[in-house]
Amino acid sequence: MDSFVTPGSMEAISSVYLTSAGKRDGDTETDTSREMKTHFRVCRFIMETGVKLGMRSVPVATACVLYHRFFQCVSVSLYEPYLVAMSCIYLAGKVEEQHLRTRDIINVCHRYFHHSSDPLSCDSEFWDLRDSVVQCELLVLRQLNFHVSFQHPHKYLLHYLLSVKSLVNRHAWSRTPVAETSWALLRDCYHGTMCVRHAPQHIAIATLYLALHSYGVELPVGQREWWQVLCEDVTKEHIDAIISDLLHLYDMEAKWT
Amino acid sequence: MDKDLLRQTLSYHGQSLFAHLKCEQSENPDFKAIEPDLSKRLRAQTLGRGRLEKLEQFIARKADILFAQSWKSNAPVEYVLEDEAEEPYAIMPPLEQFMEVSFEERRNLLYRDMERGDIVIGRINSIRDFGFFVTLICMGGGLERDIEDLELTALCPLRDVPSNGNHDDPLSYYQMNDLIRAGVKDIDRYHEKITISLQPSSLATNLVSQKLGVLSKDDLPLHYSLRVANDNTETYERVLEGTLGYSNPLNVEYLLGKIGISDTQPPSLMRGLQSKHFLEEDFATTIRKKQSASWALKCVRIGVDHFKSGRYVEAMNEYNKALEIDTNNVEALVARGALYANKGSLLKAITDFELALESCPTHRNAKKYLCQTLVERGGQLEEEEKLVTAEGFYRKALALDDSFPDAKEALRKIELLIQKSLKLREEMAAREAEKAKNVETSAEKLRKILKEEKRKRKRSSSSSTSSSSSSDRSSSSHRKSKKKKRKHRRSSRGGKRQQRVSSRGNWSAADDEEEWYPAPPNTSASFLDPKSSRYRSFDVPNRTEEHSQHYSKHRSQTHSQHSLPSVSTNAPDNRGRFEDDPFDISPLRAECSKGKGICDKTGDGEVNGREMEASRGRKKSQECHFGPQEIPRSSEKDKNSRTSSTSSEHSSKSSRNDLPSQSRISTYRRSDSGRYGITERDKEEENRGIRRSDGGDNRSSPYTSRNGKSSAGGSQKKELPSNLLDLFSQIAQFEKEKCKPQK
Repeated sequence: MDSFVTPGSMEAISSVYLTSAGKRDGDTETDTSREMKTHFRVCRFIMETGVKLGMRSVPVATACVLYHRFFQCVSVSLYEPYLVAMSCIYLAGKVEEQHLRTRDIINVCHRYFHHSSDPLSCDSEFWDLRDSVVQCELLVLRQLNFHVSFQHPHKYLLHYLLSVKSLVNRHAWSRTPVAETSWALLRDCYHGTMCVRHAPQHIAIATLYLALHSYGVELPVGQREWWQVLCEDVTKEHIDAIISDLLHLYDMEAKWT
Repeated sequence: MDKDLLRQTLSYHGQSLFAHLKCEQSENPDFKAIEPDLSKRLRAQTLGRGRLEKLEQFIARKADILFAQSWKSNAPVEYVLEDEAEEPYAIMPPLEQFMEVSFEERRNLLYRDMERGDIVIGRINSIRDFGFFVTLICMGGGLERDIEDLELTALCPLRDVPSNGNHDDPLSYYQMNDLIRAGVKDIDRYHEKITISLQPSSLATNLVSQKLGVLSKDDLPLHYSLRVANDNTETYERVLEGTLGYSNPLNVEYLLGKIGISDTQPPSLMRGLQSKHFLEEDFATTIRKKQSASWALKCVRIGVDHFKSGRYVEAMNEYNKALEIDTNNVEALVARGALYANKGSLLKAITDFELALESCPTHRNAKKYLCQTLVERGGQLEEEEKLVTAEGFYRKALALDDSFPDAKEALRKIELLIQKSLKLREEMAAREAEKAKNVETSAEKLRKILKEEKRKRKRSSSSSTSSSSSSDRSSSSHRKSKKKKRKHRRSSRGGKRQQRVSSRGNWSAADDEEEWYPAPPNTSASFLDPKSSRYRSFDVPNRTEEHSQHYSKHRSQTHSQHSLPSVSTNAPDNRGRFEDDPFDISPLRAECSKGKGICDKTGDGEVNGREMEASRGRKKSQECHFGPQEIPRSSEKDKNSRTSSTSSEHSSKSSRNDLPSQSRISTYRRSDSGRYGITERDKEEENRGIRRSDGGDNRSSPYTSRNGKSSAGGSQKKELPSNLLDLFSQIAQFEKEKCKPQK
């Protein structure tokens, strides 16, 4: 990012961003992949900002979902994605009851783009930025028809973890970081649109499955598989599809950052 | 990297993963170190796992994160006893039940995973002499398994059954089908025998808080109750969504804490999102602080401009704005302090400077200004003659900045001043001491004069008075206090009391005093009933009855026995006010004197105590004497300050050591008059006494004045014990002589 977003230069920035990306990767790069790249980067931006703002996992997830849903409806060339992202963060804080101050959001974002710079002074630039964020928030709301409350996999994953934990020998559990890994996988899956394409329970089960599988933890087998029990309508195909999407995200990271 | 974990993973996945690992983690020194170990243990790839190439690649790539030592769970290993009733999250029945794990499998798993110190819950199925057998129905303490139908039996041997104090045989406390919570003591996996114990010592440390023994159905763990309730009719999902805890918006946070994952430093497998890479200064709070500081500084600069141009109001506004943006901003505080100092609000300035120095102790300007302001403030205080405080300020200023010349000079000056003032004060104190002595002696003189006058009057009226007074005098100061009390009463009651007191006072005083102090030669003792006086002295509220009894008894005996009940009751309540005495005169009289004494004793509490010791005997006589006098006095004084009146009486009494006869005379006179049919007058006086509380009565105006004087004089002189005793003895003798002819 060369310059920070301002209302006037919203389009300019995004065009610069996208064209530069295009130039970098050559003409083989399709629009969709370019878009995916953008979205990946912006979601990375959202997640990093979330950590720096002290946001919990669920509000961060809400912000990402808002962003993805917004750009499912509109073209990324019309709106500055980073501004949209900032507004999504602000809105998600309100939705998930972890209210953030626009001042903090602007400070962190400004520093994200201008490393080691001084904080903005209380001048017109600052107030313009603030206005932009608030305006864009309204735009996002309207674009999403004010459906801004979502069911997230986090709650399910935690309950599943507890249930599965009881099946496993306690020592085996304590030495295997299944919980951390599954949580990390869950957070990371918000970089892409898979978070809006799959049901929350399915995502939760898939991440748990992947975590268990990675470490080689074997669960007892009954008439039914544990994952089948936890969610009736999930199938192995679902799980596999989610896992493959997830792994793809990690590949994207390797490619694009 | 966690070697064991890697090994476990590799054994699960096999060779191909190992190959990937080698490929991806070739640069990882940790991996290199353990690689040789791993390759040894690796067995051949097991088939049928449906391994994904991609997955293995992923694991291999992320191995350094996945298998990092720090990645391990931070969860407390111990099971923390939760309040299940709260349902912070959805507590589910055991998954085994939903999975329909086979009987064998479940049993094997249970034996694999059950350990010593676990909690089991079961039902007693048989009781023998060596213990009882329990069929396990579920596990407590975190291990949620479906074991009821496994029908495992555990034995609780006799020695592990704690004895209840009431029962001889501990086993008799237990019955068939009781629900028992016990700790696992021993597991024999081979023979599949489980031994349990009811001793708390058998529990693991984290479970010690759980109570062992008989349970009720409500105490069963929730997961068991749900399992029973569910019994394969509902799906996990539906059970989950039906639970209250599922809807708790905070259940995510709660569970994260329970499981041990941090949400502020969340784990991630993305390389770029590793928390350790985030710099502290990029975080929102840090940036905000910096920003606030710079914004505040801007305001301060503008404010300083205003200040220099003389626009103090705008300057103050800017400073306040700055402090709103950034509280405790050093520059803003210093600037505002300077503004305050200029305007003259030195104390506010000092507060601001000190606050600034707290955050930044090396701020040069703050120090300088603070010194100046302290010195200035010191100067102000000096002018107000608060020299010590001013000195304190100068010292403070110097402590801050040694080289501050003004402060040094000022400190020197003020030290001189203080010395001077100290000297002055000493001189004045010495002078006052002298005066006090002089004053005392003059007061004594006055008292003497008054006493003499009284004596004359008394002698003219009745000799008994003097005798009584002398007897009073001879009694200890205790009596005096009594007398004082009586005086109070008298004053409220009026002359009647006085009369009575005069006659009774001495004796009752003597009586009362007898209780407190070794009674002096008690000339009038024959009239006194020790019991009654004791009663009076100790039992103020109940005096009425006792006194009346006593009085009726002793009426013949002792005039002096005052009908203290009324007096005494009055005394604590209202020394200045005497209520109507339901009894006739003589009891009243007795009351008067005694009451007063008692009043003094009881009512005056500490005050009396002091003075009583000082001059009890005196008081008594004085009381008698000053009954009427004191009545107006007390009435004059604030009722609430009876103590003071009492004390004044006491003091007056004490001062009247020299004039015991006077009081006695008056009391005797009164009592005589009362005795000899001055009922009306007594009543009158009583009434007056009652009214006294409202306003000064002039019944004893002459006495009042005298009393006033004497009390004034007496107040100064309170304690001359040795003198008193001598005097009392003299008086007692005198009174004896007087009394005898009377009787």
